[in-house]
Amino acid sequence: MKIFSSTAILTLLLCISASTFAADKILPYPIYQHRLDNGLNVVTVPFDSPGLASFHIVTRVGARNEVEPGVTGFAHFFEHMMFRGTDKYSKEEYSAALKSTGAAANANTTQDRTDYHMTGNSNKLELMFELESDRFLNLNYSEHDFKTEAGAVKGEYTKNFASPYSQIYEKRLETAFTTHTYSHTTMGYFKDIVDMPNQYEYSKKFFDRYYRPEYNTILVVGDVTPEQVNALSEKYFGKWERGSYVSDVPVEPEQNETRYTHLQNGDIPAFLSMSYKGPAFNDSEIDMPALDVLASIVFSSTSDLSKKLVIDEQKVRSISGGAPDSRDPNLFTIQVSMVEKDDMSYVMDEINKAIAKAQTEDVDAALLERTKSHLKYGFAMGIDTPGAIAQSLSHYIQLTGDPESVNRLYAQYDKVTAENLRMVANKYFKPEHLTIATISDDESGAMK
Amino acid sequence: MSAFIRNSLAILVLIVATQAQAIDVVELKQNNSNKVVFKIRFENGSIADPADKKGLTYATASLMTQGGAGGVSYADLQDKMMPWAAFYGAMVDKQVTTFTFQVPVDFVDEFYPLVKNVLLAPDFSEQDFKRVMKAQQNYVDQVVRALSDENYSKFALEDQLFRRGNMQSLKQGTSASVKGISLDDIKTHYRKAFTNNNVTIGIAGNYSDALLGQLKADVAKLPDFEYESVTPSKANTADGIEVEIIAKDGAFGSAIFTGAPLPITRANDEFAALMIANSWMGEHRKSYSRLYQKIRQTRSMNYGDYTYIEWYSAGGSNQLPPSGVPRASNYWSIWIRPVQIASQLKSQYQELADVSIGHAHFALRLALREFDLLIKNGMGEADFEATKTFLRSYTKLYAQSPAQQLGWLMDSRFYGRTDYLAELDSLLKNTTLQQVNAAIRKYWQTENLFVTIVTDASEAQPLADSLINNTPSPMSYSDLVKSGLPAEVLAEDDEVAVYPLNIKKVTIVQSADTFK
Repeated sequence: MKIFSSTAILTLLLCISASTFAADKILPYPIYQHRLDNGLNVVTVPFDSPGLASFHIVTRVGARNEVEPGVTGFAHFFEHMMFRGTDKYSKEEYSAALKSTGAAANANTTQDRTDYHMTGNSNKLELMFELESDRFLNLNYSEHDFKTEAGAVKGEYTKNFASPYSQIYEKRLETAFTTHTYSHTTMGYFKDIVDMPNQYEYSKKFFDRYYRPEYNTILVVGDVTPEQVNALSEKYFGKWERGSYVSDVPVEPEQNETRYTHLQNGDIPAFLSMSYKGPAFNDSEIDMPALDVLASIVFSSTSDLSKKLVIDEQKVRSISGGAPDSRDPNLFTIQVSMVEKDDMSYVMDEINKAIAKAQTEDVDAALLERTKSHLKYGFAMGIDTPGAIAQSLSHYIQLTGDPESVNRLYAQYDKVTAENLRMVANKYFKPEHLTIATISDDESGAMK
Repeated sequence: MSAFIRNSLAILVLIVATQAQAIDVVELKQNNSNKVVFKIRFENGSIADPADKKGLTYATASLMTQGGAGGVSYADLQDKMMPWAAFYGAMVDKQVTTFTFQVPVDFVDEFYPLVKNVLLAPDFSEQDFKRVMKAQQNYVDQVVRALSDENYSKFALEDQLFRRGNMQSLKQGTSASVKGISLDDIKTHYRKAFTNNNVTIGIAGNYSDALLGQLKADVAKLPDFEYESVTPSKANTADGIEVEIIAKDGAFGSAIFTGAPLPITRANDEFAALMIANSWMGEHRKSYSRLYQKIRQTRSMNYGDYTYIEWYSAGGSNQLPPSGVPRASNYWSIWIRPVQIASQLKSQYQELADVSIGHAHFALRLALREFDLLIKNGMGEADFEATKTFLRSYTKLYAQSPAQQLGWLMDSRFYGRTDYLAELDSLLKNTTLQQVNAAIRKYWQTENLFVTIVTDASEAQPLADSLINNTPSPMSYSDLVKSGLPAEVLAEDDEVAVYPLNIKKVTIVQSADTFK
């Protein structure tokens, strides 16, 4: 085996110069896209990382698609099953072949997608393609392996849910959403996890529905060319048959009153979260970019609110706020770790005052520009390896299917005005769209 | 092809070690980078804490990086950096403290005075002190026990391994010791432990010679105190297998860590041989290692099972080992992620209504049996070659970003090496199967170990009884899984269930009584 030279990684450097923002795109590298006849999109971003490449397959299926009762957590579970072998490679042979790539390989699932990724020697790219093609096109596991893997998922739940924050997150989603599948976490409900071994037939249906070209995007960043990646994609994925399934994700009805949930737990500092119904990600409308800017100005560690509560008054350990990018409307959540639980009402009043100010007063123009600068430089500082670039693009592929969304989003940030900020503050921070979640040693929440 | 890509071909990489006023400097010059990374490392760490002030080094570094500096308040410092997306912070480990500052090259001139003031002119204000100490107190009082049972078991294992030594304590200290730290203690500790005699400068990215010269001159102005190096305590040798069970209300599973002293580190060439064995047995977060396949893949018992021959920071979130945690006092360990407890099994499966303990005893037996088999039989040629090849590729992924590269180079110095990752490749290349099997026999054993298990209060006593009595612990599968298991797995289970462990002591500790 040819091993990439020991100096290769040492010469791997981020290559965004001081003129980062001279171009009109936040990503200073061209994104090459090529769609195969079967609908599979292939994305290549050459990056100067001698001997190194990051290879992702973004499957646009997550907890969001779990529309049937009793199968919450299935997209994540299925991610586990993808490591369970094919006719060509048994699970043991697959493990051995994966090891032979010498890559850092793994996968993870979110509400909207599953991302399979390998970062390693670019000379092994064809082997990576072969392994991924084989399992994406020909996955074949036994019913016993299926039942066995369910135990690993239960183990994952077991280690995650030691944390009270995981427990309140589960409660928060369940309270805020009554209909949409964002009502459950990516892990799924525990009762469904325990029942997973009984869902073998459903798992085959799941694979048949979603592991199809139209739900997937191949993304390669690093020491590669688009010609090379496109040719390998054609060779290994060209025969992948397009499917026809479209999941019917239910629409969340409008919320009409403030909702509450509470976890009794005195083992950690008291905790308060306020979640407002927010928008879906959209790279052509101003709402989400404006909310991102607003979140930084009103709730970040440099906000007036944080300075008052965390630094001056020291009533709060930390405060943060923001909305995740997601395909469907999700929650804008403000989270507070308290010093004393008795101050919770006071802190909520202060948050409400900050929101009221955002709804009625224009943000200082200089602060707005500084915040935009923070967002742009923050992005530029983070993309210094093929893996980091690929991870970022994977995020936008999950949202729209198009990695150019990253460039469109950052162009939108530039357009955000003080008026936009007031607009989104009024549009989204409505008491009737609010869910309050608390943790304290009290039997019930004190915020009603 | 973009200009950035073309220009990158002309990138200059320079790794230089120079002596400036007796201060060691590690340079990694990258002229086309868009950032500058500073790493200022002090050889102190939590072992430099006075015996009655555990957590003092952590408190000092926290106050330096989360407080005002140069007469500018912490809030104003944060404000100033905000549009640059610059940041800084400190990481305290047992033997070193590393301050990392990172800034886009566009703003390095404006940022540098902040670097200087954080290092040379921390305000140490009463107001900042109160805030920082509240967070530290809260961590040792509550957070360490509440957030993650598996991290809890890992820290508790170190508490056992280094009991009565200066490596024992959490770097954040204990509930009692943190209460005793005063602002004056911090000011004194800053003068004595953050000095120009125990510091190394690291710099990477697109910096000028003038900036480096300024940095060297400024770092030389750190307190000129004759810092006395502290020797880290060695890990204790257990008398047989000594188990501490931490009983916690509301635990979902049993989180297990076990370990024993290891006299070698990255400084020793032999470490590479043991690294191959360790990777085969339990490479971190890899599905193709032995324990993972036996415990998770075949038996569905938990989320993963890994082995280590040095400290691995934040294993739950890091896929690749981070820099900044070099240690001269070493141990090897096994991490068995939470397995099921009896109360959970009973509630989930009717056929398991009668189980009295969960899977912890069986999992521990299985893991130690695998070690015994490896010690007895050694690695085979094919596994050896495959693992060596894997590691020669995989270890090159450890240092990808400029900050990671600089961190690994600085760690290299700690171990008396220049560029450990490059040297490691050569060491791995030249390692033979015989050397690997000799290292396994020399350094691994299962007779004398410390074990820590964080589990639910309901599981603690039955598990303790089972362990101390070497009671058979048959694996309790659900019928769904058991019905499809191959005969050879069930036969192996029968052996594992009665596999004798040299357990001589089992203690149950209430969660509230840990880290006091």
